[in-house]
Amino acid sequence: MDTKPVKQKRSQYIDLRKMRKSFAIKPLAIGIASVLLSACSGGREDAIIFTNLEECNNTFPDMQAKCEVAYQEALTEAARTAPKYNTSNDCESEFGANQCRQYSSGGTSFFMPLMAGYMIGNMMSPRPYYQPMFTSYSRNSSFRNRWTTADGSIIGDTSKRNMRVRPSAFEKKPAVTRTISRGGFGSSVRAKSNWGSSRSKGWGG
Amino acid sequence: MLRLPIAARENWQQMAKDYGFLFHTMYGQAYWDETAYYQFTLEQIEQDLEAPTEEIHQMCLHVVDQVARDEQLLTKFAIPPDYWDSILNSWKCQEPSLYSRLDFVYDGKSPAKLLENNADTPTSLYESGFWQWLWLESNVDKGVLSKRADQFNSLQEKLVNQFKVIAQYYQVSYLHFACCKDTAEDRGTVQYLQDCAKEAGLDSYFVFIEDIGLSIDGELTDLQDNVISHCFKLYPWEFMQRDEFGPHAVSSGVGWIEPIWKTILSNKALLPALWQSFEGHPNLLPAFYESDKHLMNHSKYANSKWVKKPIYSREGANIEVFSGSITDLSSDGPYGEEGFIYQSFVPLPRYKNNYTLIGSWLVNDQAAGISVREDVSPITQDMSRYLPHIIL
Repeated sequence: MDTKPVKQKRSQYIDLRKMRKSFAIKPLAIGIASVLLSACSGGREDAIIFTNLEECNNTFPDMQAKCEVAYQEALTEAARTAPKYNTSNDCESEFGANQCRQYSSGGTSFFMPLMAGYMIGNMMSPRPYYQPMFTSYSRNSSFRNRWTTADGSIIGDTSKRNMRVRPSAFEKKPAVTRTISRGGFGSSVRAKSNWGSSRSKGWGG
Repeated sequence: MLRLPIAARENWQQMAKDYGFLFHTMYGQAYWDETAYYQFTLEQIEQDLEAPTEEIHQMCLHVVDQVARDEQLLTKFAIPPDYWDSILNSWKCQEPSLYSRLDFVYDGKSPAKLLENNADTPTSLYESGFWQWLWLESNVDKGVLSKRADQFNSLQEKLVNQFKVIAQYYQVSYLHFACCKDTAEDRGTVQYLQDCAKEAGLDSYFVFIEDIGLSIDGELTDLQDNVISHCFKLYPWEFMQRDEFGPHAVSSGVGWIEPIWKTILSNKALLPALWQSFEGHPNLLPAFYESDKHLMNHSKYANSKWVKKPIYSREGANIEVFSGSITDLSSDGPYGEEGFIYQSFVPLPRYKNNYTLIGSWLVNDQAAGISVREDVSPITQDMSRYLPHIIL
């Protein structure tokens, strides 16, 4: 150790445990795996899930303005990030009867689940964290009776309202939209790979 | 600069499996080769490679600034006019870059000469940033290599830091990552970058280039219909710009890594442009546009050999080496329709019947390490082998 050069030209430290891949069995559902993993790691924080604005106001009577902001922003966020379906049937088979609403954008309409609740954290700070919650009443859904984020991560059972979650549970999710066509990238590669042998090498240089 | 034999670690193939290094053997032949390594002195690294790498990068940025504002040059670079505005805009906004790799001819004695700049989609990143680092650590631990042995390789550290910079610039907490299907090498490279992004505190979403979709509102989407807002792509800009979705790559407002201004650097026309601005620089080779070919007839080039390179090409395809009217060497391939440039030919140094090429990495504008590749052919192609290196 003491013989190492003073000014090292290589990375000081790499966490080898994080670089290992072989034990990382692919989870069936990303959401479930993250709950299991997070159960054994630290850094969790308190969060409460409310199903409407009133519940929040009743719990924090002195912070009703914050409840209002978090609720409104969660609604906007829910519309932005919820999964989108072509038909009401597709949506209801995942989330249950009467759990979906129609939404219009760009002249077409599609269906997405209703916000079932919203999770708030860090209530004492000037800007509490929030995240819209969804759940399913459908028998064949893995989200049945579970609080779920827009990207399908399961936060916990719907019978529970007080949660201990990883800070990342409050991170912003990507917006979800409806795709009208695919396959518009990659044709240049196909044209080039018609030349020569099939390759496992990539297109980098 | 020495090439020294060494015993391969007994368990390295098992380790490769454990760490997910799945492309160490390709086409049934070794790609990762640890039966030998290269040894450099600290002076060679710092004076001959590290400093020139950062200096050339600054010279390259000077060229970007010139070309981005000049329609004549943009035409010479064969960049489609539809993208000129986006390129200038991306450059003016200083959209952050993640990485580049400069390829050098270097023999340990004479100044390193720039062959080209892989500024958009450089690979061999995992092998460089992590795998050769681990090779050194294990050989030092076992006492096979001296405890004083170091390596020019701060890639992983710097990549993690640059992801933090990029997240800060775009104010994001997650990124999309994309590469083409059916290539274990590219997928492995992108996975490595996802790991680095994770270390920087970013979540990542993956989508194959061919699976990217277009939404009703003109956004790009992944297979889960998530809107792609910021995306690392291991797919060259020159291909994207010629694909059907090319216009959407720009109009969708995606923050791309690498940014679109890199189109100017990952282009062989960069070489004559550099020579025009910095003629005689010790790390540059004379290079000319096709339209300036007559300048190669100057008496000072009477004994020169030249290499003719397509403006867009990868992995040494469609290269021709000639002197006068005699062709010495050539490689075929699918490139060349956008035109060619000419660069003075300097042979790669030979070590034990191998031609050796140095790749010098940049993370943003900082030199971050080197990779050494060997080929039995004087034109480094996709059958080259990767060898680790040390500083002692």
